[in-house]
Amino acid sequence: MSGADFIQFRTLTKEFQAPDGSPIRVVDPIGLTICEGEFVVFVGPSGCGKTTVMRMVGGLEAPSSGEIYLAGKRVTGPSRDKGMVFQSYSSFPWLTVLGNIRFGMKYRRDIPAAEKDRIARRYLDLVGLTPFADYTINRISGGMRQRVAIARTLAADPLVLLMDEPFGALDALSRERLQIQLMDLRRAERKTVIFVTHDVDEAVLLADRIIVFSARPARVIEDIPVAAMLPEKRSIDIIDSPEFRRIRRDVLSRIRNEEVEAEEGAGQP
Amino acid sequence: MAGTVDAESATLSDKSSAVSRSGARDGGPTSLSVGPLAAWRELLIFRGARRPRQELWVSVVGFALVLGAWIVATESGFVHPQILPSPRAVVEAWWRMFLDNDYLADIGVSVARVWIAFLTSAIIAIPMGVLMSGYRGVNALFEPLIDFIRYLPVPALVPLTLIWLGIGEGSKIMLLWIGTFFQLVLLVADDARRVPKEFIETGRTLGASDAALMKDILLRAMLPNMVDSLRITLGWCWTYLIVAEIVASTSGIGFQIWTARRFGKTPEVFAGILMIGIIGLVSDQAIRFLHRRWFRYLH
Repeated sequence: MSGADFIQFRTLTKEFQAPDGSPIRVVDPIGLTICEGEFVVFVGPSGCGKTTVMRMVGGLEAPSSGEIYLAGKRVTGPSRDKGMVFQSYSSFPWLTVLGNIRFGMKYRRDIPAAEKDRIARRYLDLVGLTPFADYTINRISGGMRQRVAIARTLAADPLVLLMDEPFGALDALSRERLQIQLMDLRRAERKTVIFVTHDVDEAVLLADRIIVFSARPARVIEDIPVAAMLPEKRSIDIIDSPEFRRIRRDVLSRIRNEEVEAEEGAGQP
Repeated sequence: MAGTVDAESATLSDKSSAVSRSGARDGGPTSLSVGPLAAWRELLIFRGARRPRQELWVSVVGFALVLGAWIVATESGFVHPQILPSPRAVVEAWWRMFLDNDYLADIGVSVARVWIAFLTSAIIAIPMGVLMSGYRGVNALFEPLIDFIRYLPVPALVPLTLIWLGIGEGSKIMLLWIGTFFQLVLLVADDARRVPKEFIETGRTLGASDAALMKDILLRAMLPNMVDSLRITLGWCWTYLIVAEIVASTSGIGFQIWTARRFGKTPEVFAGILMIGIIGLVSDQAIRFLHRRWFRYLH
């Protein structure tokens, strides 16, 4: 199954247990479909549950009710189909850069070793780290570590790439550079991506589509088809275009309203 | 690390961070004053910069002071040699024991006891600690038990080990094993729990089975900390060795110490104690050295 309903959320909810045993609703029923090849960015007030939604797609968290289908198959747990890039501890310090990328295929018995090597080197090159193949992780910068993680995840060839604020811990210049690189990579690879961030500029720059979540419990309050408003190939200069600024303003004001409401709600226990 | 934007400038920033590191050593933030005394004054500034050379000298002086006080107190006749023998007498006793008493055999016996007990407890404790960290059921089964046994004072178990295993090697090794195993399991389980969950989840999303997760990721990630835990418990093993060798033993460093005491040979007692200290120090430094070699990626 492919095309328009590549990933389906069917009345998905999630509750956590409070320390006193009472349930806390973190995700309200969500119904959503994501197309194959789409770059979807989740934004929302901090702590709203957008990461939880993404982790449920990855099978790292079980929904309390409802289900998620990926390419027609119900998500029941983590698997190679759902690749994950974390903000920190994204690559293994005891392996080299190339070793980390090759680790993406460690549990693939169907690929011969020589082929794994070839694939690993291809992704190494694609993220521009060929000169650093034999470096250990602690010797490279934070931005390079994230590139290693992205290359490793792509080498595993998942159906969907899940990125949890992958550039959140980087300085502004590194982040910008990685954003551009990620856009280039995506044009080359055509992967379906779900990307969680709290950086609205980043969201508008990268997204085909932005999903804005409400304050906790998370609910979809806005679904912005950015691809219809901005060109597919974007440079960093697009940040200054009126279209970009308009989308950015819309997203920001929605999130801001949510945060104000959430704070007012919290003020009356 | 503002310079590490791209691949090319990364090497450049490696250099610049090396420069700033050595800069901190030669002139930290607080040592704006120049002159030969500034480096020494740094030693008494709260959280001052590192001064390796001066720190080494202070350590050497500390050792020298203790040794000097020892020499003065004994050679001057101020302390009775039966209470505190002079360093010279201790070295002579040491020499005597090696030549006349076959001390090397005793050292060999003690080292063997320690390592047999230590290795057997490590071989069981490592997989058990890993499983306890990974499965709540395993942890719920063992942790309360281990916590209870851990607090039993090891010397109190000597009569039991003697009743169970007699006065042979078995009872001694068992005592050491009890002293290290229960501590080590909990340390290993903690080391495993400290592995970031991102590593585990990355493994899962790459298709790793439970066994593969433990072998390829958990063990690899926890290994440096675990080697430290092993190093610490090896030290405890030596503590319990003396307890084991004082009771019903006919060989080993502890036995020699105890025999020397019975005949009032204080220099020999001192020699034995120092021998254990030296063996402990050497094995500790050896493991630290291996740690730096094996886990170069951390440094």
